[in-house]
Amino acid sequence: MRTFFNIISTAIDAGAVIVYTGMGELMLERSGVMNLGLEGIIAIGAATAVIASQWASTPFIAAGVAVLVGAIMGLAFGIAVVVVRANQVLVGLAMFLIGTGLAAHLGGSVSGSPPPISFNPVAIPWLSDIPQVGDALFNHDPLVYFGYLALPIIVWFVLNRTRHGINLNAVGEDPAAADASGVSVMGIRMFYSILGGAFAGIGGATLSLAFTPGWTTGIVAGRGWIALAVVIFALWKPGRLVFGAILFGALISVSFVAQDKGWPIPGQVLNMLPYLITLALIVVAVLRTRGTRTTIAPAALAEPYFREDR
Amino acid sequence: MRAQLHKRLDVTPRQAFLIRLAGAFAAVLLTGVILLISGRNSFSLAGDALSAVIPGKIGFEDTLLIATPILMAAVAVAIGFRARVWNIGVAGQFLMGAWGATAVGLYYDGPSIIVLPLMAIAAAICGGLWALGPAWAKARLDINEIVTTLLLNFVAVQWVIWWSTDMWLDRDLGVLAASRKISAEFPKVPGTIILNWGFAVPVVLAILFAYIFRKSIWGYEVDLTGGNRAAAEYAGIPVANRIITVLVVSGAIAGLAGMIQLTGSFQRLIGTLENNYGVSGFIVAALAGTSFLAVLVVGGFVAFLLHSGIVLSTQQGGITVNVVLAMYGFILFSVGVAEVAARYRLVVRRGNGRRGPPSGAAKPQSLANGPS
Repeated sequence: MRTFFNIISTAIDAGAVIVYTGMGELMLERSGVMNLGLEGIIAIGAATAVIASQWASTPFIAAGVAVLVGAIMGLAFGIAVVVVRANQVLVGLAMFLIGTGLAAHLGGSVSGSPPPISFNPVAIPWLSDIPQVGDALFNHDPLVYFGYLALPIIVWFVLNRTRHGINLNAVGEDPAAADASGVSVMGIRMFYSILGGAFAGIGGATLSLAFTPGWTTGIVAGRGWIALAVVIFALWKPGRLVFGAILFGALISVSFVAQDKGWPIPGQVLNMLPYLITLALIVVAVLRTRGTRTTIAPAALAEPYFREDR
Repeated sequence: MRAQLHKRLDVTPRQAFLIRLAGAFAAVLLTGVILLISGRNSFSLAGDALSAVIPGKIGFEDTLLIATPILMAAVAVAIGFRARVWNIGVAGQFLMGAWGATAVGLYYDGPSIIVLPLMAIAAAICGGLWALGPAWAKARLDINEIVTTLLLNFVAVQWVIWWSTDMWLDRDLGVLAASRKISAEFPKVPGTIILNWGFAVPVVLAILFAYIFRKSIWGYEVDLTGGNRAAAEYAGIPVANRIITVLVVSGAIAGLAGMIQLTGSFQRLIGTLENNYGVSGFIVAALAGTSFLAVLVVGGFVAFLLHSGIVLSTQQGGITVNVVLAMYGFILFSVGVAEVAARYRLVVRRGNGRRGPPSGAAKPQSLANGPS
């Protein structure tokens, strides 16, 4: 029983990077833009957060630096694919390589050593005193609470209950119609490109200032690609995204516990499971939408919008 | 005086190719400037690299050896491009191919003339099967093949590390996490020091596929699928089937590359066998577009650059694979932007600048209609 609650607790921490990165990408994809460079933006966010933690007075400032760097990456991506309207796959993969390469290059000086400051768990009074459950659910760092509780509600509300959310969906489904009705396609896509980059930056900071903590090359280990996969698994809905993030976190967590307790499964097999099961989950999720009226991807996903071609 | 951007009515493949190369050149320059800012003299670095590579037989043979897996990967990616399918999983298919080849090599110890073809077949099957899942998901469920092929890379790396450090570990070797040595070796080119015939394989494949896509019905149908999927479906082409076969063929070539690398180098399966050749091949294909012959030219050039980089990293200790990865990113970024730029031309006209001629109603060429 104790092991079970350990797994839950670690799963929540391990899924935080997916919640943030995935939520930014979910909104961006709703506007019809796909950023394949998340992996690189998480990496550079994680590296710069640790670099900033060398002089920052609180972990929030260090995370803020990661957010800023992520937003700059998002801005560069947005200028290329939204303003210039370059191929989103090419530019996305470019951000992946630039971020991964620069993060490893810049992070070399702080590699391997724990950051001087990091996010500490905050126990919620009363609730955290519940035996077992309390410690597993109500003793996490502040970014975890915000990411799992506040963020999905905010995103759900904006997407489903505001005029801006309707405009955002319109831009992703039929940019020409949105444009004709006076919605700025470029403005919305640009805004969410930057926001998506900033969220991937926070994702990197949760990884290097809370979950691990510390920076080494290879620390991101495909989490940006997992985030993209989880957005598909979530069928572009924020609630399901949180569920998918915890599932992924649980996979990571189980393999930690198994290695820790010496279960008779080779470490490499445990390491491949999160990727394999994530792949299986998206196939099942998409298969289940067959024959239903559920729309899957935004109709204009990854298509540049040229007003003059209308 | 007033400058305007006018849309071109048509972009020839040659124009598109040249502007992509110009973009790549700018990206390499940018990397040099960044190195310069971070305190390294990139001009003397470049000079050292060139003087180390150009003279000497070893330098030339080494470049060809490095070019082999890169060209194989680039051909694999370029085949996908024809159907507008992005195979980002070359690294994983490469490793699975090497794994399949090792399995044959370790358990069947016969004459090379029989073992090598068997290893090649096993490698192609393993690489192709590794691409089959993403291909099926893409064709039948429209699940993004970029995400699925890439996630499988992580699985393949763990798989190979598992076998090479457990079941097949060379226990006599002790320190190295490598499999036992397989006896089959890729045939050497007579009269050379280190070169094997591996480099001929991607050249033959590139010519073969250039021919297939020019002459065969299958090639035509794949091109049509990539050009306009809806139109291809309307014309009765089994689009899903063509997407699956293209990705599986692409994976099989990547797997074969793994077998060549395995038997042409240490003849041992190790987790680091792939060495980012997949990424290099992707850059080559992105620069070359859909032309297989351009793949050969650009691939040779990138191999030359990489070899210079390897020489630098051993001589100077400063240029690591991370800098190369970032430079690849800058190149891809420039290629993406340059593709759009190729569709416009700058018109500078004198006068009060009241009105220019109406811009052409050209459709975007490379991005909307084909994956050039």
